[in-house]
Amino acid sequence: MLNTRTALTPSLIAIVGFLTVCPVVMLVFGSFSEGIGAFGTFTLEKYIESYTDPEFANIIVNTVIFTIGSAFVATLLALFLAYLNTRTNIPFKFLFRIISIIPMMIPHILFSVSWVLLLNPSNGLINLFLRQILSLENSPFNIYTLGGMILVEGLLDLPIAYLILAPAMAAFDVSLEESSKVSGASNLRTLTRVTLPVLRPAILASFILVIVRSLASFAVPSIIGMPGRIYVLATHIYRIIATGFAADFGMAAAVGMSALAASITLIYLYRYLTSESEKYVTISSRGYRPALIELKNAKYPLFGIVALLSFVLIVLPVLVLFYTSLVPYSMVPSAKAFSMMSGKHWLQVLKDPISLLSLKNSVFLGIVGASLGVILSIFVSYVIVKVRTPAAGVLESLSFLSFSFPGIVIGVGFMWFFVRTPLYATIWSLLIGYIATYLPYGIRPLTSAFIQIHSHLEESSRVCGGGTLYTLRRIIIPLLIPGVVSGWILMATMFVRELTLSVVLSRPGTEVLAVQILRFAEDGLWGKLSALGIMMIFISSTLVVIASLIGTKLTKVEEESR
Amino acid sequence: MEISIKRVSKDFFSEGKKIKALSNVDLTIPANQIFTLLGPSGCGKTTLLRCIVGLETPDSGEITIGEEIVWSKEKNIFVPPEKRGLSMVFQTYAIWPHMTVFDNVAYPLQTRKEPKEEIRSKVEKTLRFVQLEGFENRPATKLSGGQQQRVALARALVPEPKVILFDEPLSNLDAKLREETRKELRSFLTELKITAVYVTHDRIEALSLSDAIAVMMDGRWVEIGTPKKIYFDSDHRFVADFIGQANLISGKVAAIEDSYTIVDSSIGTIACQKSPDTSVGNGVTLCIRPEFIKVIEGEAREGSNIFRGRVESLLFVGDAYEGEIVVADTRLIVRIEPTAIVEEGDEIALSFDPDHCFVLSK
Ligand SMILES: Nc1ncnc2c1ncn2[C@@H]1O[C@H](COP(=O)(O)OP(=O)(O)OP(=O)(O)O)[C@@H](O)[C@H]1O
Ligand SMILES: [Mg+2]
Repeated sequence: MLNTRTALTPSLIAIVGFLTVCPVVMLVFGSFSEGIGAFGTFTLEKYIESYTDPEFANIIVNTVIFTIGSAFVATLLALFLAYLNTRTNIPFKFLFRIISIIPMMIPHILFSVSWVLLLNPSNGLINLFLRQILSLENSPFNIYTLGGMILVEGLLDLPIAYLILAPAMAAFDVSLEESSKVSGASNLRTLTRVTLPVLRPAILASFILVIVRSLASFAVPSIIGMPGRIYVLATHIYRIIATGFAADFGMAAAVGMSALAASITLIYLYRYLTSESEKYVTISSRGYRPALIELKNAKYPLFGIVALLSFVLIVLPVLVLFYTSLVPYSMVPSAKAFSMMSGKHWLQVLKDPISLLSLKNSVFLGIVGASLGVILSIFVSYVIVKVRTPAAGVLESLSFLSFSFPGIVIGVGFMWFFVRTPLYATIWSLLIGYIATYLPYGIRPLTSAFIQIHSHLEESSRVCGGGTLYTLRRIIIPLLIPGVVSGWILMATMFVRELTLSVVLSRPGTEVLAVQILRFAEDGLWGKLSALGIMMIFISSTLVVIASLIGTKLTKVEEESR
Repeated sequence: MEISIKRVSKDFFSEGKKIKALSNVDLTIPANQIFTLLGPSGCGKTTLLRCIVGLETPDSGEITIGEEIVWSKEKNIFVPPEKRGLSMVFQTYAIWPHMTVFDNVAYPLQTRKEPKEEIRSKVEKTLRFVQLEGFENRPATKLSGGQQQRVALARALVPEPKVILFDEPLSNLDAKLREETRKELRSFLTELKITAVYVTHDRIEALSLSDAIAVMMDGRWVEIGTPKKIYFDSDHRFVADFIGQANLISGKVAAIEDSYTIVDSSIGTIACQKSPDTSVGNGVTLCIRPEFIKVIEGEAREGSNIFRGRVESLLFVGDAYEGEIVVADTRLIVRIEPTAIVEEGDEIALSFDPDHCFVLSK
């Protein structure tokens, strides 16, 4: 018993270390190698080649504008919502919880597609509609621009920004504002001169986190950027390995290194800022609710904006996809359109062997991958929470290492590894990559579950006469089940929709849903795409429901077996 | 059941440093009494309790519960906690949050696979005993602190153990509830006639609840006795100081008379209780508790154990004043009746009964 316990931490460090360090190390070595077949040869050739490319400067400029622009959109919107929710008497506050959680459940690729379906210049629904009623020659909107990318990415990252800003806003020391108002300043002046400056660390933290996320984002740059020939780092890497005649993984690695370096710097900055802002909050937080600002006439117009945002973030994407999957070609909703609706696209998808294969692969990856990932997470969380040696601290840092790095870069790193193993081009290479990248999704809920199991709960069962196995069955496992279920749900939904790693690692035969959706988008097959997208949402939701049901069932069984 | 602990030691290692939690403890806990381990934080009370129950294994020594040796280093015996047949109430209560009150209480019986009918009737009886009837189907998390404490107690009582161990069971309750529960607990335990080992660092709790107290310090016990013996007649400086407010006065034995010992001290000549192991010329420390020092009102006579001093400060604490009185450069803490007419700066006379002043020989 003692031996297995002492061996647990090192073996976990080995497994997790392999999963998260391997792609990074392989990426570094790969970037200095002559080619994917010539690993370990030292050359600067790939760096010179990729960084002297005249287009590279352009890509960097695009990347900077795209990431910073998205950060502005997301942070400003989040500030607006957080302020309304925590500090004013706006009605229907439950909407804010929905806005902050539900959009995470819609796959980014489908969200991006829905905006293309609405705003693309040739047949976007909103464009068609405006042209019809205003009798315009040209479409008023074009989503395939940097502005379009920024808008969609900003909306996608809004929940993250909100989850950082809302608690900071709620913990804000109101007496600072009150003293400003006592000295005669208006609400608006107080906001700009007192509230926002005090919240600066949290605002900056949110800003930087959104930059990290949008730097790692692939869905928006590929679905919206590429058709408009606007390339950022992620899509540039993708272009190097996935289009043209010869994929050059050396160059991809060399370019990936700058994305990696940028991420690491930003994450470091983020950690620094959050520790700063936490200091701030603990000093000023107090135990009473501030008086809410009376919105008066602005109340319902402001609420209208919030309602519109929720509609745009949650309802619209699904609605547009569903509609598009049923009509034969893009047309404005009308009596004619409804009369022409059919299940044609659905049938086509269900007869398409590659789509079927991708469905099968994604379901397999979701179920098997999440199960294996959760098992690993259980052991890792156990060590992090209950063993707590310095080695356990190492394990914790390792598990979160590659989480915020751009997925496509991690994918390229893994590629350098997998081509050297029999795993290359198998479904297992995707599975390993997924678990490595999304391990924190399993670890977070399980560490909270383990923290909840105070050692006294276990010990008191022993004293009451329960042996080790009895205690495990009746106390430990039942208390872990909620953590296991939410870890499994998070991982499974991420795996079913996974795009960024998959575009690198998936080969013919190992297509997955998101990659197949990207192919449909590249070919402009919107109807089939939408049908497959809805199926993807359906599969995720089914897995969520099944997992919750099993969780409830297991808890019940424990009660009956007493 | 009697518990006997022989030469038990336990070291912990944390961050490379060795901490001696228990050093060579020899202790016999008599059957059917409430026996309290009292001591300051970190003195090893919890560790000793955990060694008895089997959650911690000592580094050396032997522990016997009743007739059974449950731990012996030399004989290589270790009975795991689930086989010792003890009950324990944890400081955190350790109520299982995923179970109802009924299941929490039934658990010890379920581990023994008793028939369902029997379990039900025993659990109901115990819940009635701790005044929690009607709470059977409540989720255990939906209870107040005091109710959780009762569930923990019910769970400890339900298997009708010979020994119950308590680790600071009242420390998470608020002051008023703590007082009530303390009284209840005492009546439960005396009614049931079982051996209870009770850990606390609260001296009032120890004094009011126990049949016997072992005062611990640095991994050992320093004195064992009834609450009265510990409070009124301790031999130890540490114990006298820890168990209540005390004025400790050092001096030298001047004479030993028939009924009193006479000590020369910084405040003057004091007559105090006789102590068997002192002789003339010994340096000693005397202990006199604040509530036994009386303020003499009106004209003070000269006489034995009468001292003059100045009132340095007066603190009104409700049922009395807590006064600091300086007698010849020595500060004495005195409890003064709230009706007394005394003010800061007054010169007053104090006296005390020699029987209430005792010699601390260790
Ligand atoms: N698991 C452990 N690892 C390391 N040191 C420990 C451990 N448990 C206890 N100790 C140390 O052993 C000593 C005795 O601890 P113990 O918990 O028995 O004290 P206690 O008398 O119960 O104190 P308290 O009144 O604060 O509960 C302390 O110095 C403590 O820091
Ligand atoms: Mg303790």
